[in-house]
Amino acid sequence: MKTGIQSWLDERFGLSIITKFLKEKTVPQHKHSIWYYTGSAILLFFTIQIITGFMLVFYYKPTLEGANESVARIMTEVPLGWIIRSVHSWSASFMIAFVLIHLLSTWLAKSYRKPRELTWMSGVFLLVFSLLSGFTGYLLPWDDLSLSATKVGTDIPRSIPLAGVWVTKFLRGGEDVTGDTLTRFFGFHVSIIPVFIFILLGVHIYLIQKQGMSLPLSAELKKEKVKEIPFWPNFVYREMIVWLLLLGILFSLAIFFPPSLDKAADLMAPAPEGIRPEWYFLFLFQTLKILPAKILFLPGDTLAVLLILVAGIVFFFLPLIDNKPAERKGKIITITALVLIVYAVAMTVWSLL
Amino acid sequence: MKLKHSLFTRRQFLNGLLGGWLGALLASFLYPVIKFVFPPTREPDQVILPFADFRDMNTVSVKNFLWGTKPGILKKKNDGSYLAFVGVCTHLDCNVSYLEEQRKFFCACHDGWYDENGLNIGGPPPKPLRRLLVSIEGEDLIIKREGGERAEDQ
Repeated sequence: MKTGIQSWLDERFGLSIITKFLKEKTVPQHKHSIWYYTGSAILLFFTIQIITGFMLVFYYKPTLEGANESVARIMTEVPLGWIIRSVHSWSASFMIAFVLIHLLSTWLAKSYRKPRELTWMSGVFLLVFSLLSGFTGYLLPWDDLSLSATKVGTDIPRSIPLAGVWVTKFLRGGEDVTGDTLTRFFGFHVSIIPVFIFILLGVHIYLIQKQGMSLPLSAELKKEKVKEIPFWPNFVYREMIVWLLLLGILFSLAIFFPPSLDKAADLMAPAPEGIRPEWYFLFLFQTLKILPAKILFLPGDTLAVLLILVAGIVFFFLPLIDNKPAERKGKIITITALVLIVYAVAMTVWSLL
Repeated sequence: MKLKHSLFTRRQFLNGLLGGWLGALLASFLYPVIKFVFPPTREPDQVILPFADFRDMNTVSVKNFLWGTKPGILKKKNDGSYLAFVGVCTHLDCNVSYLEEQRKFFCACHDGWYDENGLNIGGPPPKPLRRLLVSIEGEDLIIKREGGERAEDQ
């Protein structure tokens, strides 16, 4: 039964198209169904980021003089401020973690195969913006650790031929990391990156609705009939159970392990020992550390940057490259994926030793 | 000579004209945007410090000074002359520290090492620390860029 308001709104918005679609939407049930839950988990953490982010900007000051002090104030004076910052920090890690899991499941299940190439490509951009969001947010507390991480991170693009110097200058707002960089990163973090994420998210989710849920390669090859359950309410209720669990874990971690805050960064001080970036950049950090100064005729870091660049481009076009997923080529790509995962995990563990 | 067939149709010509005009318009909007996001470089041509502050420094430790937005490091050699460096690692731009006992410069970010003359001797740094020219004129210690080089070339 529709109430008067509902039909009044529907006459103007035409929302019944969407509600009808959601009522008819189904989700396949098979032994790999669990990966379908990772997408909405990302949305959950993204929503938490937006809400806690809105709250943090009420007190945060993106200036050289005020940044560290304002975060200290959030942690000590603002009522429940420490929980809000802690949740924001933990939820960022959770979001990145689920983005990575979501990506790996798509990669290994080869869900990017025709016609879902653009879903993958928009996803790669979402990954980049998620990482950028984490990277820019890391600087905002403005302590020694975040300053060094930003100096290194913004210097990496410098090795890209031609454009690199300008990328570094653009990110830093000048030659060096200064107060201008902090203000600029704040702008990236709270307005520019979120706008891009929203647009890409819109495209990504639209494509998924348009094309329906992807089936695993094995199920599709057998052409067997896969069991399906309605999206609403059956699947959504199951998702809500997952959300509840994740929220429990998130809040427990946020309350018992709040992020630290060091003294304000000094632009002229030497880098402190034991600096390291956020966990999702550790594999890169360790790679940069072990690469020698010169490999053949190239500086080690230039080689690393060029490799990352090439890997990124290959990664973006993967659906077009991996166009015969069930054949030998597809299997080689799967093995490559597994090798890269092992490499990243091994490097991360090494950096923690 | 008159061509029998025109190379493009009237529509193509007009579309090209319109497209070109739109492109030029867009470029004229983009230009100020790009100019705006890159602030001017602030690296100084020279820094003048009071010599009195550095006259009595020993040859074991180093002293810092401000080189624009970067840390500068001044070191006195055994023969009494001075060496000046930009105290920034040539690997990925972290500030270096001077370890007195080992007489070496060290970058904690990725374990980079330089000897006391700023020469890269270990770890990932690809180049020696950037040197600056030091001269003493009366009561002033003047630190200059080496031979008109620009920061971008580093």
